[in-house]
Amino acid sequence: MDFEFSVIVESLPALLAGAKLTWIITILGIVGGMIFGILAGLGRIAGTEALGEKPHGIFMSISVLIRYISSAYVETVRGTPIIVQAMFLYFAFPMLVKAVTDIERFRIEALTAAVITIIVNAGAYIAEIVRGSVVSVNKGLLEAGMSLGISRFQLIVHIIGPIAFRRMIPPLGNQFIISLKDTSLFIVIGVGELTRQGQEIMASNFRALEIWLAVAVIYLIMTTVLSMSLRHLERRMKIF
Amino acid sequence: MPSIIELKNVCKSFGDTEVLHNVDLSIEEGEVVVIIGPSGSGKSTLLRGINCLEMISSGELIVDGIRIPAEQGRIRQIRLEVGMVFQQFNLFPHMTALENVAFGPRKARNMAKAEAADIARNLLAKVGLAEFENKLPGQLSGGQQQRVAIARALAVNPKVLLFDEPTSALDPEMIGEVLDVMKSIAKDSGMTMVVVTHEMGFAAQVGNRLIFMDDGRIVEEGKPSEVMKNPQSERLKDFLGHVRHH
Ligand SMILES: Nc1ncnc2c1ncn2[C@@H]1O[C@H](COP(=O)(O)OP(=O)(O)OP(=O)(O)O)[C@@H](O)[C@H]1O
Ligand SMILES: [Mg+2]
Repeated sequence: MDFEFSVIVESLPALLAGAKLTWIITILGIVGGMIFGILAGLGRIAGTEALGEKPHGIFMSISVLIRYISSAYVETVRGTPIIVQAMFLYFAFPMLVKAVTDIERFRIEALTAAVITIIVNAGAYIAEIVRGSVVSVNKGLLEAGMSLGISRFQLIVHIIGPIAFRRMIPPLGNQFIISLKDTSLFIVIGVGELTRQGQEIMASNFRALEIWLAVAVIYLIMTTVLSMSLRHLERRMKIF
Repeated sequence: MPSIIELKNVCKSFGDTEVLHNVDLSIEEGEVVVIIGPSGSGKSTLLRGINCLEMISSGELIVDGIRIPAEQGRIRQIRLEVGMVFQQFNLFPHMTALENVAFGPRKARNMAKAEAADIARNLLAKVGLAEFENKLPGQLSGGQQQRVAIARALAVNPKVLLFDEPTSALDPEMIGEVLDVMKSIAKDSGMTMVVVTHEMGFAAQVGNRLIFMDDGRIVEEGKPSEVMKNPQSERLKDFLGHVRHH
């Protein structure tokens, strides 16, 4: 077996370009996923005691509707493979648009489809993390807040939010790493991310060992950076 | 004296179980009312009904002129005027003692940060915890936490304070410090207080009225010393016997 280190050196610029794309998709994906996740996570418990007082009348009806929509989103995403979600968005969704509207040349860039897929996919899993942490906040603390006469918004922002967020950090770290690794699936829609770059170099020089080793190490470095920054955040916030 | 709290024929059910039956109660401004009764008799439910942590099922509640259920939209106003101290303290774990106390004035009363901090410092000094302002709840003893919680409730400047067994979760040696703070509030500020407790000494010393509840009803009430000396019902006799012996 011959191991040529120079192969890695030569392919490094292309691999790093792929890694950069992987990183961009991941960061945009988890930032958007956090927004989706917080909205859908709170949506799944809208109108329940986990968010303070139960609303009345029309507000209760609205809450129930929000709960249904959020649950449908989470269950749909969790119940289908991410690769199918990406394929659907990239190949099927434009056809659907064409079928129901007059827009002839509608298409989604592969990179855009990749980012949206991560946002939507991570959002559903983050929603469950958000819901679990919010529900686990001690009811006594909510009552203490309410008994001071603050609004529901203040209760969520100043009491529930900070306490729940600390509990979310470890599972969030987990999800961020999963999302980063999920970007390798976008090879199927032709995004030039790290795995795709590795695959292309491999196809031209047949140096599987060097290339896949290099690809694996680069992934490992990126996931380590993610988990270390979350651990740093956790340590800074773990004051109680 | 005008009533600050009035319950008229109030019932409260959880599901199919009614736990408060036709309660009538009127509390005057400045009164210190002590509520005793066996476990499950509805003391907490009554107290929590007053600041609408539990919504009454029927009857009428009038707090500081606000009528429930007619004016359900004004529950926040009721809570601004009615503070609560809990058995488990329930301090916000991510805030220091000072932040806990300043939180109410700042967010519920929209005060400037510096002004809220001033109020909080004064109150922490009043409950004897001036030098603990930067401690987190987790770094304080139970007695200290409960004193911070009392300061937190006072900080919003309410007209009424509700206490739900404020010393029941405390080690015996810390009960005194909390009761002392409560006594000084009752004596110095003329605050209206409704206190669920089994501390009969406190009831006798600072209570204007003692209420005995059993099975969701007010069974006896009157001047604490009288009620304790001359219990009318067997149930109260029984209950007092138990309290004295434990
Ligand atoms: N959220 C609730 N859901 C259902 N039942 C409840 C709820 N809260 C209280 N109860 C019931 O209502 C009754 C009165 O309870 P409450 O807590 O008011 O009693 P208490 O006098 O405060 O008792 P303790 O001395 O144990 O604190 C009990 O039978 C209790 O089981
Ligand atoms: Mg109770």
